Amino acid sequence: MVAPLVVFIGALAIYPTVLTIIEAFFHSDPLTPPDHFVGFGNFAAVFANSQVRHSIENTGWYALFGVVLTVAFGTGIALLLQRPFRGRGVLLAIVILPWALPGVVEGVIWSWIYNPTFGVLDSVLKSAHLIGQYQLFIGSHQIETILLIALVQVWQITPLAALLVLAATQSIPDELYESARVDGATWYQHITRITLPLARPAIAVATAEALVMSINIFDQVYVLNAAATTGSSLMSQTYFITFQDLNFGQGYALSLFATVATILLSLLILKIVYRKVEYS
Amino acid sequence: MTKQSQNLLRKAAVSGVASALLVACLTEASSAATTSSATRLGAPDVTINVAIAYPAPSKAALAAFTKATGISVNYSYIQWDNLQTKIAAAAEAHTYFADVTDVDWSKVGEYYQTKWFTPLNKYFNVASLPAQYPQVASFVRNGELLAMPSDASLLVTDVNTKDFAKAGIMKMPTTFAQYQADLDKIQSQGVVAHPLDIPFAAAEGLSTYWYEMTAAFGGQVLSSSYKPEFTSPSSAGYKAMTWMVAAYKDGLVPKGNLALDDYQGFSDDQAENLTASVFSDYSGDIGTVYDVPSSSKVVHQIEYIPTPGTNGPAPNLANPDGIGIPVMAKHVTAAVQFIKWYDESSNQAAFAGANGAATSVSGFPLPANNSGLALLVSSGKVPGAAELAILTKDHSRAIFPAGAPPWYPAFSNAVYTNLHSAAAGQESVASAISNIASQIASLAG
Repeated sequence: MVAPLVVFIGALAIYPTVLTIIEAFFHSDPLTPPDHFVGFGNFAAVFANSQVRHSIENTGWYALFGVVLTVAFGTGIALLLQRPFRGRGVLLAIVILPWALPGVVEGVIWSWIYNPTFGVLDSVLKSAHLIGQYQLFIGSHQIETILLIALVQVWQITPLAALLVLAATQSIPDELYESARVDGATWYQHITRITLPLARPAIAVATAEALVMSINIFDQVYVLNAAATTGSSLMSQTYFITFQDLNFGQGYALSLFATVATILLSLLILKIVYRKVEYS
Repeated sequence: MTKQSQNLLRKAAVSGVASALLVACLTEASSAATTSSATRLGAPDVTINVAIAYPAPSKAALAAFTKATGISVNYSYIQWDNLQTKIAAAAEAHTYFADVTDVDWSKVGEYYQTKWFTPLNKYFNVASLPAQYPQVASFVRNGELLAMPSDASLLVTDVNTKDFAKAGIMKMPTTFAQYQADLDKIQSQGVVAHPLDIPFAAAEGLSTYWYEMTAAFGGQVLSSSYKPEFTSPSSAGYKAMTWMVAAYKDGLVPKGNLALDDYQGFSDDQAENLTASVFSDYSGDIGTVYDVPSSSKVVHQIEYIPTPGTNGPAPNLANPDGIGIPVMAKHVTAAVQFIKWYDESSNQAAFAGANGAATSVSGFPLPANNSGLALLVSSGKVPGAAELAILTKDHSRAIFPAGAPPWYPAFSNAVYTNLHSAAAGQESVASAISNIASQIASLAG
C-alpha cells in the first residue's frame, strides 16, 4: 500500500540527499577535472570565501526577520479569524492567496512596489509626506535590504502559519473559554492564558516552517537583489557557486551545510516552543 | 566500497538528480513550448528537441522546415538564465537534454574546456565563415567552432534626439568628451534630471556596460592571455569604472538604477524618457522597445549613433548568441540541418522583422550574416537597421580578443558585484578594481 510512496520519497528525497552527502566530499568541477576525493576540502574552501560568509550572516538576518514576522502575523491573523463571523470564508480565501503564488512572481510584483522610480511604496510615503523625494529601498543598506526582501517571503508564507495556528485554535474546547468568562477573564487573558498556550504545537510547527523557508530563501533574493552582496543569501550563493562557477563539489558542500543547519535549528525551535497538548 | 563502485554510485546519483531536475524543467518549459508536430506534413523521419532563449519561429516556418527535411521540431523557449542552468545540469550528469541549444558568446571558453558541445568544424567551413558572419569569432576557440552564430548583437549607443534638441544640441557627439558635455548640458538645462542610463544592479548587463565603456576609453579589460589590463589608474578600464561610479554618485544616472538591470533600465528609464541616452544599449531596442507605442513615451525619438570614443567612434563590442549541439544530442545530423536552416539569410531577416510581425521573433536583435542584414535593411521595416548594419560590419569587435575565458561567469560576477558595491558606496573604485584583479588571479590559477 505504501510502496509507491516509499519509492517516490526514496527516489526524490532520500537518494539525492545521500548522494549530496557523498558528493560534498569530492572535488567536482568540470573546468578542472578529474573528480577526486578531497575530504573536508570543499567545506574549507566555501567557508574561506568571504562572499559565502557574508551570505551566511545575511541568511541569519533573513531567518530572524522571517521567523519573527511570519509567526507574529500568522498568529495574529489566526486570532482574528478564530471566531465565526460573516465573510470569514472569503477573508480566509484572500489570506491564502499569496501562498499560492510562486516566489519569482512575488518577487516581480514586489519589485514594482519597491521600484525607486514609480513604485507604490515611494508614492504612498511621499503622499503621506513621510519622504521628500523618492527613495531607493533595495540595495543601499544591508539590514534595510534584507528586511524588505524578507517581507516578501513573509507575505508568502504567513498564510501557512495562519492556517496551522487557526486549525489549532479551532480544536480548543469552548468550555475553557466559558469557564474563563465566568471567572471574569478579559479578552487579553483568554488569548494569553488559553489560546496561545494550547496552540503551541501549531505555533512550533509554523515557526519551524518559517525557519526552513527563510534559510532557503532564493527566488525573492534573485529577483530583487540580483547578485549583490548586500542581500545575498546562502541559497543564492549556492546557486552561483554551482551553476555559474560550475563548482559542483562546493555547491554540494554548501547545500549540505544549509541542510544540517536547518535541521539543527528546527529541532532547537521545536524543543523550545513545542509543548504537547491533550484534551481529555 | 571500491573506487569503481563509488564512482558508479556517484555518477548514477548525479544522473538521477539531474534527470529529476530536467523532468521538472522540461515540464515547466513545455508550457511555453511550441511544437511543429501538429502542423507537419507527412511522417517525419526524426524529431529533434530544440531549446533556445528566443521564442519559436512562426509555426508556418517550422512546418516548412519539417516539410522540406522530414525533421520535426519540438521547440522549447526557455529564459536565458534558466536555460544555462539546465544545460549545465544535463551536461554534468551526462544526460540528454536537447539536440540544439543556446551557446552564448560568454560561455564559449567554458564549453571549450568542458567539452560539453560538439565542435562543428566537420559541418561548416570555418575559414570561410567570417566573410559572411561578422561575429563568428566569438564562437571559435583554438580553431574549434563551438556554435554557429544565431544572431548578431552588439552594444550600441543611442540618444533621445528630442531631448538633445531641447538642450540645443543638433550635432550628435562623436567623442566621449563631447558626449559628457552634452549630457551635462541636458541636465543643467533641466531637460532631463538624470540623462544617462547605466543599469547598476549586480547583473551581467553592468559588466558588459563596463567593457563597452572601457572600449570607448581606448582599451580592453583583459589581454589576449587573459591578464587584467585595468589595474593601473591610467588604464582605460580603471578610468571607465571611475567615470561610471562618478556618473552615478553625481546624479548623471537616476538614483534608482542601483536596483535596475539592463532591460529594466531600457524600459523603465529610456522608454519612459527619464533618461536621454544609453551608452551601451542592445542593438535592436529601438524597434522592440522604444518605438512600441504601448510601452514607450519616446516613439520615433531615439536614434543610434556611432559610439563616442576618446578620439572618434569607438568599437561596438559583440555579444551574439549562438546555437550548438550538446555532445549528448541524439540526432546530430538533423541538428546540423536545423542550424543551417535557422541561419538561412531569409529566415534570419524574417526573425529580425523584415517581413513584419507575423514572422518576427520577439527580442531577436539582428541577422547573424551579412546577406540577412542586407535583406533586413532593404525591407525598410526595422528602424535603425541601416545604421546597425554598418556598425555590425565595420565597428563590431569581440569583447575578448581570444574569446571568453573558461572562467568568464565567475569573472563577470566579480565585475558586477564589485562595480555595484562601488556605486552603492560600499567600497571604493580602487578596492573594486583590486578585488576583480584578485579574482582573476585566483581563477586563472
